[in-house]
Amino acid sequence: MKSSVPLLSRDLAIQQLQAPPVLHGKVSFGSLDDQVLAPVYVKPSPAWFVAFAITSTAALLGMGFIGYTIATGIGVWGNNIPVAWAFGIINFVFWVGIGHAGTLISAILLLFRARWRNAISRFSEAITIFAVICATLFPLIHVGRPWLAFWLFPYPNQRGVWPNFRSPLLWDVFAVNTYFLVSLLFWYIGLVPDLASLRDRTANKIRKFVYSILCFGWRGAASHWQHYEKAYLVIAGLATGLVLSVHSVVSFDFAVSLVPGWHMTIFPPYFVTGAIFAGFAMVVMALVVVRSTMHLEHLITEYHLEVMNKIILTCSCLMAYAYLMEGFTAWYSMNPYIQYTFMQYIVGTYWWAGWLTITCNVLVPQLLWLRWFRRHYAGMIFVAVAVTVGMWFERFVIIVSSLHQDFLPSSWHIYKPTIVDCGILLGSFGLFFTLVLLFARVLPVIATTEMKMILPGAQPHHQGGTHEP
Amino acid sequence: MNPRRVFSVLGLFDSAPLLMQAIPKVKTNVTARLEAYSPFPIHGIDEALGLRKSPLTGMVLVMGIIGVTSGLGFELWTSGIDYPLMTAGKPYFSWEAFIPIMFEIMVLFACFTAGLGMLMALNRLPFFRHPMLRSKAMGQITRDKFALAVEPKGETLDVDAIASVLKEAGAVSVEVIEAPEPIRIASPDFLLSVLLAIVISSAVSGYATYWAIKLFPVSIPMVHMLDQPRLDPQRPSGFFKDGFGMRMPVPGTVARGTTLYGIGSEDEAGTLVNPMPRTGQALRQGQQDYRTYCSVCHGIRGDGVPTLTAAYGAKPANLVSRTIIDLPDGKIHHVIIDGKNAMPAYAADLPEDERWAVVHYVRALQRASNAKDDDIK
Repeated sequence: MKSSVPLLSRDLAIQQLQAPPVLHGKVSFGSLDDQVLAPVYVKPSPAWFVAFAITSTAALLGMGFIGYTIATGIGVWGNNIPVAWAFGIINFVFWVGIGHAGTLISAILLLFRARWRNAISRFSEAITIFAVICATLFPLIHVGRPWLAFWLFPYPNQRGVWPNFRSPLLWDVFAVNTYFLVSLLFWYIGLVPDLASLRDRTANKIRKFVYSILCFGWRGAASHWQHYEKAYLVIAGLATGLVLSVHSVVSFDFAVSLVPGWHMTIFPPYFVTGAIFAGFAMVVMALVVVRSTMHLEHLITEYHLEVMNKIILTCSCLMAYAYLMEGFTAWYSMNPYIQYTFMQYIVGTYWWAGWLTITCNVLVPQLLWLRWFRRHYAGMIFVAVAVTVGMWFERFVIIVSSLHQDFLPSSWHIYKPTIVDCGILLGSFGLFFTLVLLFARVLPVIATTEMKMILPGAQPHHQGGTHEP
Repeated sequence: MNPRRVFSVLGLFDSAPLLMQAIPKVKTNVTARLEAYSPFPIHGIDEALGLRKSPLTGMVLVMGIIGVTSGLGFELWTSGIDYPLMTAGKPYFSWEAFIPIMFEIMVLFACFTAGLGMLMALNRLPFFRHPMLRSKAMGQITRDKFALAVEPKGETLDVDAIASVLKEAGAVSVEVIEAPEPIRIASPDFLLSVLLAIVISSAVSGYATYWAIKLFPVSIPMVHMLDQPRLDPQRPSGFFKDGFGMRMPVPGTVARGTTLYGIGSEDEAGTLVNPMPRTGQALRQGQQDYRTYCSVCHGIRGDGVPTLTAAYGAKPANLVSRTIIDLPDGKIHHVIIDGKNAMPAYAADLPEDERWAVVHYVRALQRASNAKDDDIK
């Protein structure tokens, strides 16, 4: 076949295939430190205080409602048989899912050697930790008497009883706790060299003392870095398996039961994809704010945002497939109960929630095929907010729509949330953003050590002096 | 004065390539151990310095295997042996259901081995008194400078010679870091501060434990389920007209497991047949009830010789006499219900089946007292 376009030379082809630069402008090791570490020492802007006031008020409101729930009893929520799991579990699944994007960025993309992850890994790991904190709150208050929640753990007791290790709810306890501890460890290991930098930049004696303790007396020796890099890689590998397991286990809470609409083999991958989808939307929203307010445009570039938006688009298509598969399973199973439940999703009492889910998760993200939406704040924020709303309502559909029509028609019950339910949901968002704001205030939001590794001239053994092999 | 004890001689470099170029030059001229310091890991520096391969992956593998086996072992032991729990008809050792937690425990063990093993076991951190941390170079190393240090182990250094080697290799400045004063464990100051720390920490933890133990049992935040108003038997109640909390059954009520006994006199009862088959179990039941209720007056063998003769004026019947032998089963049963002469009624003490069991036992006593030769066979 004749081609009118001449073949590219090998070098030119490689050049065209190379990823665009992940940094803008000239950045030196020192100037990177100055810019990323400076917010820790200076007084934050008035905008920060306004934002903090709003989020902490929401958090306190939520804490008030939680206190009211604990003092009065779980009856102040809208849940009742047959919708025994409502906001408590919706919010739990939602927040655990948000965390997954952070681990994906910090662990899986590290294994893929995606250089652009270095700029956003610290921030997204922090989002993971805060999201998991918000998530664990909900099962804790949902048990009704949280001071007895330690019964979930296997410890020798005078009753001679052990928890049921065959129950997906107990798998959940282990999965979420392991996830939290490992994420915290991974985040902290990454922070150690940065804490050492903070220690050496400050003149304040109390700060110096605190940072010295926190960084374990890190001194950057080559023999230490050798073990450090190995540990970081090993934890990343393990965290990759872990993050896939956590939302799979969360999905087992549903899939292992016999409720029509829940009892499906597609649930684990469907939940993991949904988790990454919602998590990336949250990271994009928070990152846009941090990037523009802290003037990090040359470190977190448009390229970063565009790549993340492409991942959101990919996940959206996978979600569309999962929704279609749900319908296909209902039809192909020839099981009238599953078919009835599926019809409830789209034409039942909560039909609006079902269609809101499909609109926000499948239709709106298709806008990201357009370059403008991937590269402009207004476009990406619009999609990210839609995805966040859509993913919350997806869990609402899965839980409430499937449960509100029991096998026994006399038990059918329309679920309505109370003001307490909504207040606690608002409070969890308040808590999450309060923690994000505090984090941006007291710790470096970009991992300076990891960024230094990919600056020009950092790796003399690699061609071009960058981290790229 | 002793000559200065030197911990290391350190040369500072401006960039990673300069440091990497300097390493082989210094290595040819200095025999002492070399260490490099940098703000980030430099790939290939471990080979240049001649560092051994990190044993971390082996440690993680071992701890991961321990995590898997201890997780599975613990689940099998608790769910199959210590507290056997059957779920959904699965066998006790249904290992498939234990995979998720087994996996999580493995990840937990392996990750913490990697993280803390790296920091504490391999890198020997925290080490706050390390002489490097008090050097002038440290602040620059965590920012943008790179250092190559000659750190002898035991041997003495020719400081000036090493300084010139480092300078020739391209170091912008050279710093000599003094060895720290060794901690004198026997000094009174040190002992006193250790003692004080022990006293304070034990006092704090002791008081905390004491108050936790004292307060925790009495602070029950939600008592709704403990407060359950109810009316116990024998309690008065203003709710009912008669003032009793307890309700009596409607007249003519027949309790479950019993039949209505509508016979008024002994003569009427003569036609009743013992409905209970004469089994070994019935006889044993009859024997137990007879010895409990009847033997006090009628005697252990039924011969009317009571154990409490002096206490009663009446003479109990001899149950093995011809009169009673000739009495039909129904009449004996009726006497147990109603009593006779001085004998009280036992209907309240013996339910229907036990009364008939006693009748069987009385018949057995009668036969035992008048045993024929055939019975011995």
